[in-house]
Amino acid sequence: MTEKQLPLIEKYRAKKFSEIRGQDMAVQEVKTFLKTFPKKRALILSGPPGTGKTCLTTALANEFNLELFELNASDLRNKASLEEVLKPATGQQSLFKKGKIILMDEADGITGSDRGGVTELIALIGKTSFPIIITANNIWQKKFSLLRQKCHMVPLKELKEPIIIEILKDVLTKENKKININTLNLIAKKSKGDVRSALNDLQLVINLGEEVFITDISDREKEDSIFNILKIVFQSQTDEKTINVYESTEMELDEISLWIEENIPTEYEGKALVKAYESLSKADVFKGRIYRQQHWRFLVYQSFFLSAGISSATKLKTNKFTQYKRPSRILKIWMANQKNAKKKSIVKKYSEQTHISIKKAMKESFLLPLILNNKQVQKELDLDENEQEYLLEKQGAIIVANNLNKFKL
Amino acid sequence: MENNSNIWTEKYRPKKFEEVVGQEDIIKKVQNLAKAMNIPHMLFAGPAGTGKSTLALIVVKDLFGVHWKENYLELNASDERGIDVVRQKVKDFARTKALGNVPFKVIFLDEADALTKEAQQALRRTMENFTGTCRFIMSCNYSSKIIDPIQSRCVVFRFKLLEKKDIEKRIKVIAEKEELQIDSSAVEMLYEASEGDCRRVINLLQAASSISPLISKELIDTLVSSAKPTDIKIVLEYALSGDFLKAKEKLLDVMLRESVSGTDIIKAIQKEVWNLQIDSELKVKLTEKTGEIEFRLVEGSDEFIQLEALLASFVLAGRGM
Repeated sequence: MTEKQLPLIEKYRAKKFSEIRGQDMAVQEVKTFLKTFPKKRALILSGPPGTGKTCLTTALANEFNLELFELNASDLRNKASLEEVLKPATGQQSLFKKGKIILMDEADGITGSDRGGVTELIALIGKTSFPIIITANNIWQKKFSLLRQKCHMVPLKELKEPIIIEILKDVLTKENKKININTLNLIAKKSKGDVRSALNDLQLVINLGEEVFITDISDREKEDSIFNILKIVFQSQTDEKTINVYESTEMELDEISLWIEENIPTEYEGKALVKAYESLSKADVFKGRIYRQQHWRFLVYQSFFLSAGISSATKLKTNKFTQYKRPSRILKIWMANQKNAKKKSIVKKYSEQTHISIKKAMKESFLLPLILNNKQVQKELDLDENEQEYLLEKQGAIIVANNLNKFKL
Repeated sequence: MENNSNIWTEKYRPKKFEEVVGQEDIIKKVQNLAKAMNIPHMLFAGPAGTGKSTLALIVVKDLFGVHWKENYLELNASDERGIDVVRQKVKDFARTKALGNVPFKVIFLDEADALTKEAQQALRRTMENFTGTCRFIMSCNYSSKIIDPIQSRCVVFRFKLLEKKDIEKRIKVIAEKEELQIDSSAVEMLYEASEGDCRRVINLLQAASSISPLISKELIDTLVSSAKPTDIKIVLEYALSGDFLKAKEKLLDVMLRESVSGTDIIKAIQKEVWNLQIDSELKVKLTEKTGEIEFRLVEGSDEFIQLEALLASFVLAGRGM
């Protein structure tokens, strides 16, 4: 791959401290760490993606002429493999360069399959004769608590928008390209302080043109366009334009369907309501058929019923102005799921103990608060405090709602 | 451990062939097969709560004695219904040799009719390849949902709905052990409410006993009706009165709060339609529409969209249209 074909993000990766922007404090700390080594043997650079953690390390290696020995998430990092790879590295002298830095990149990626990885890393820090730098997005997880004590911590913050814009402008000058300042602002805003994503978006704009990018990224504009679409479907005559209305949007049909469902009841009533819902229902039937049979040709029908089908109910209604609402069902379902989580965990434990499926146990769940009402049975199912509390509450509710106290002796 | 469970469906689950009520023919045949220490693959077909899982458990305990747990895998196909289950869990268990002085292992696939067709296809080879080390017992409500190649590899036993006398027998045993007082009208009520499902009978009995040792017909009746989604009536009433938004909101509330599935809601609607205060011609129309929507649901459509579409028809019916 020639230099020219390299993605921007690689081509303009900072190689010197002077090229790293907006992280002056961190640069100082890294330098001090190296100069005072082995006062602290390891350093943790923690921060969100694209804030320069890896760049800082490579720059450090370049400026001090050190060899960089890197391990990242793509390498297996359990105890045995760390030992095997790092032990020689922590001891051997480098051939041409005077020293070495060991970079443990993306430490949050040390997972379950990297058994003993963190422990081994801590052991290595105790013995190493070369500085170790660890990068991570979230170092505040519990499994890293011991590691944190052994290391010097340097937190990195998201880059401010003006700095990102500066970086983008620099790259544009070097590439001899020009793009609209509004687009630059948009990219910077969307990046939320992540230089990598900003440069990737810039690449997209350079390759595909600005228009594509703007409609693609702006959630706001996406919403504007769904409002226009709803207006066309709900309020204008059914014609060619209606049938093709969804072609102009990036929104998926499934999401559009949620918007339509939310707004039909305020838009139509009586016969028109039935008609509109019938079309929505048919569109949904075709959607189901697409999924089950993987026959994507049915998409035509789903789209047709969702557009022209619903629109054909419009002539039955008296015109009125309505404010379109954003779909609320998904959120409601999510909230209900949170509430039902306890019930589900109880039912799951019950189903395991009684040799039945969760589905079948759910059907018995209305009786469970009464059946699982004492300590022994709760212990038998290994119910935790939250679950016991839930049962007690439900039990009280059932007794009150059905006036069961009158049966008590 | 299961002998002293505090959950009555476990505590009173029959542990020997002789203790099972009803299904006499099946019990006799299966007992003889187990005696020979060589069972074929078996398919237990029949309604819920008629003793399929119970019989499977008795078979493995009879075959393996104290080693039953190591040599028995129970899978609920309705919870894990994909092909991955067959490829991984079933195969992993089936391919290793049985432990202890036992000729083979047993996999109990409960509610096997919930397995996808692909999973069933994957199963047929597995059943043949590992016959040496592993036997399958499968249960299902409808044998027609099990693909023919699997049925042909199994001895099929058809479980019947438990009769009233069988259920009565069970209730009496439990009432005596738990020191409950129960009269014949309450027994009658229990039987009717359970529709022949012994699990439901025992659960109702235990729930009732948590309120009082005196089990009356009224107590059972109250418990049973507490399970019926009466809220559905409210949903329909909102719709009939023309307030679609409120009906929609209430419907969502019922479904989410108690996590009731769309198919359960539509069953409740179908039962409720006839009790509504509307012209009988409209009832026919609405029932037809309900059937159509249930069909769409079964086909795999979105339950919220479909039920809302149905409610819209109720709004129209409320206006006599």
